[in-house]
Amino acid sequence: MSQAQDQRPGVEAHLSRGAQLMQDQLFEAAANEFEQALELNAADPRARFEFAVCLVSLGRNDEARRQFDEVRQLTGESRYVTYYLGRLDLLSNDYASAIRRLGSLTEEPPFPDTAFYLGVAYISSGDVAGGTKWLERAAKLLPHDYRVHYRLARAYSSGGREQEAAHEYGLYSQLRDEHKNTEKDVRECTSALGTGPLATAREACHRIYDPNDPEKLTLLGQLFGDAGAFAEALDPLKRAAQLDANSFEAWHNLGVSYFRLERYEEARAPLEKAVALRPNFYGSVVLLGATLYMLGEDDAALPVLERAHRLNPADTETAAALEKLRARRRK
Amino acid sequence: MTRREFLALLAAGTAGAGMCWAQESGGMASRGVRPQPRGKPSGLPFHARFTDVAAHAGLRAPVIYGPPDRMDYILESMGCGVAFLDYDNDGWLDIFLLSGTRREGPVEGASNRLYKNNRDGTFTDATAKAGLVRQGWACGVTVGDCNNDGFDDLFITAWPQNILYRNNGDGTFTDVTEAAGLLHPGKRWGSGCTWVDYDRDGRLDLFVSNYLVFDFDKIPPTGKDPNCNFKGVPVNCGPRGLVPERPMLYHNNGDGTFTDVTARSGIGAAAPGFGLTAVAADLDGDGWQDIYVACDSTPSLVFHNRGDGTFSEQGLLSGLAVNEDGNEQAGMGIAIGDFDTDGRLDALKTHFAEDTAALYRNAGHLVFEDVTLRSGLGVETRHVGWGDGIADLDNDGLPDLFWVTGSVFPEVERKHPEFPHKTPRVLFRNLGGGRFEELLDGAGPAIAEAHSSRGAAFGDFDNDGDLDILIMNINEPPSLLRNDVRGGGHWLKVKLVGTRSNPSAIGAVATAVYGGRRQAQPVLGSSGYLSCGDRRLHFGLGPAAMADLEIAWPSGVRESVAGLRADQLVTVKEGVGVVARERFGS
Repeated sequence: MSQAQDQRPGVEAHLSRGAQLMQDQLFEAAANEFEQALELNAADPRARFEFAVCLVSLGRNDEARRQFDEVRQLTGESRYVTYYLGRLDLLSNDYASAIRRLGSLTEEPPFPDTAFYLGVAYISSGDVAGGTKWLERAAKLLPHDYRVHYRLARAYSSGGREQEAAHEYGLYSQLRDEHKNTEKDVRECTSALGTGPLATAREACHRIYDPNDPEKLTLLGQLFGDAGAFAEALDPLKRAAQLDANSFEAWHNLGVSYFRLERYEEARAPLEKAVALRPNFYGSVVLLGATLYMLGEDDAALPVLERAHRLNPADTETAAALEKLRARRRK
Repeated sequence: MTRREFLALLAAGTAGAGMCWAQESGGMASRGVRPQPRGKPSGLPFHARFTDVAAHAGLRAPVIYGPPDRMDYILESMGCGVAFLDYDNDGWLDIFLLSGTRREGPVEGASNRLYKNNRDGTFTDATAKAGLVRQGWACGVTVGDCNNDGFDDLFITAWPQNILYRNNGDGTFTDVTEAAGLLHPGKRWGSGCTWVDYDRDGRLDLFVSNYLVFDFDKIPPTGKDPNCNFKGVPVNCGPRGLVPERPMLYHNNGDGTFTDVTARSGIGAAAPGFGLTAVAADLDGDGWQDIYVACDSTPSLVFHNRGDGTFSEQGLLSGLAVNEDGNEQAGMGIAIGDFDTDGRLDALKTHFAEDTAALYRNAGHLVFEDVTLRSGLGVETRHVGWGDGIADLDNDGLPDLFWVTGSVFPEVERKHPEFPHKTPRVLFRNLGGGRFEELLDGAGPAIAEAHSSRGAAFGDFDNDGDLDILIMNINEPPSLLRNDVRGGGHWLKVKLVGTRSNPSAIGAVATAVYGGRRQAQPVLGSSGYLSCGDRRLHFGLGPAAMADLEIAWPSGVRESVAGLRADQLVTVKEGVGVVARERFGS
């Protein structure tokens, strides 16, 4: 194989780029990457699934449905595919099908909002009692999501349960206000981090700190990290990762922060978690490879960096580093 | 290579992974939603065809509102309303157009304008003769007979001072704002307004919504903070980041004066909001007028009339304050009508771009259900929506949905062509069964024409048995969309005259029963965006050649009229019955 051919992005590279673009909410561009991955291997279920998810985000629902159906043909039934098909049913007002699909996921829901959408499907179909039951479960799973409490309040109202409705309206209003305040606090924190000394910014940013809300904690860590205040980012990110062990953002950003503080031993575990959660996310993979290398574990670092290179062959820095590492090992 | 050199090579790969928190667009509430996919066209014919005949009709003067090429202040971007009225009681709709001005100084010829209907498809500018020449930042208008003398009076909201014009009955008007006790201290930005007989004493009281605290010298400059940016382009600031206002209610004393009862009535107890269009109607069918206020980026307000002179704010409980996910939207215009012909009044509210309009189905007892997505409206999220209507435009017996659009940030299209300043009208035809289909073409050339529009009023200016549409376009002449309906659908127009109720019958609800349907329509003092439409109710009847009518008068009286033949205008007087019938063109 020639050198030029070797540099062409493979499936892994397109998947990685697509994942990054999805993260940045650039869905058109992400869909394009996944389509290119499918051109290289039409039978890759990961590319087809991610492409379908992208299409959902773009509102191209009919195309998304076709892609999910193809994923099913490739992999058999999957909770994740069923979840998305259920949501597409909901969007196309096919409530019976949405209830059937989402209802089949209740033992092992793929996402925490499965119960929410199932509740919405029941309510939309006119079954207020059924919808209320699932919205109640959703409120337990997503206690900070004001949408859930609003829908539950409406459901209680429809069912004549006025006292419970009032309680849920109260929670909704409180959470909605908190959400709006957080938006404001984020703006002020960002502005303070960009313009003033860290001590002042710390005060402004501390308003975002909520020891029980992993999303806010991750956000706070991210804001500190974006401003280069990695030491400040550690505490909220550690707490966020504790509260939500499946938060890729919390683990990845925690790993980045330790890495940037040159605390490689501590960076390793969060980055391993991040890579386990999103194996195609180039940023996590390359950083894990670098961390292992910095820890002197060249044997462990090599395959990770090779994977990083496959995910992003256009990154000449990774290619150069990898080449040097290989040369060093040959010596 | 040392390990540190190796590290330096990879520094670029150490970026954090971002979370998206705030998805709002600048200072406006927008969900950032993507449109739902359009289904296959129904292929059904649509029998209405709209042509803009404004120039031919003599409506050639531009409506000045701020600079022609930019909008540095939110006041310049919000525009104003329009009205169909019959100020001389000749049975033909006249036109009243509000106007703005420019900060740098008055613009020659700019004024609110009254056009008299010549009954031949043209209008004559009667502004000066009527004593209505005035240039300022006018916003909303409500039309009604507030002194029970048989002639329609005009109340206009404006920054910094609202105005009441008494109709003298001889083609002229007199500014009686001060004498009526409606001058307020300081500068206030009155926006929505509606006549409403909230205490059922037969006299029209006045509800005014206020938008925000505005002063040219105190508003932050464009681009100052995240509330003054849209898609990375510096734009005018607000409404977020500015100070919201509260609405007001004035009681009509019956002697030409009004008393501020905002506090006493409970209206003043509502949380401040960025209030725009205000519509009064009996939303829960209890015989008392409620008030719905579209709020821009704050929860909309629903004032439930308790029947004892007081109101309680029930926006959240009614479901009309926010969308189905509990998010406030950029409420601009409100239309009230009965899209599912179940005899209850539903609501349509327009919003910002990257969001849908909201369609609310009335489930009874002041409970509304957001049916936007399931009705098919989710396909349209491109434009900022303003004046709207729930109106049977093709006389097929099913009310359609229409709204006008236009950006508030003309600067943005230079960087983002996908957000043009001038945008087309939006028309959803009613397919029945609670479903709608957007008609991008097939309803005449005027639908696709792009303007930066604001107010819209619906009425039959040429008395030909269909609904025409009057539209305010910023810094352009207005549009007058003449509707030419084919297809043979029948219709019935109903003019209500109150006796115990206010003479304008504002607040009455007429329900037409035809072809197995029951369609309710209210007589409104205001609707759309800061506008006022024809008070003659228009029912498309489809193939039905007869209709029965049930009327709930604002006084509480209920009345029925059976066996009305289609294709005529009937005038029904409270307690008397049908007092006039008119077949147009005969």
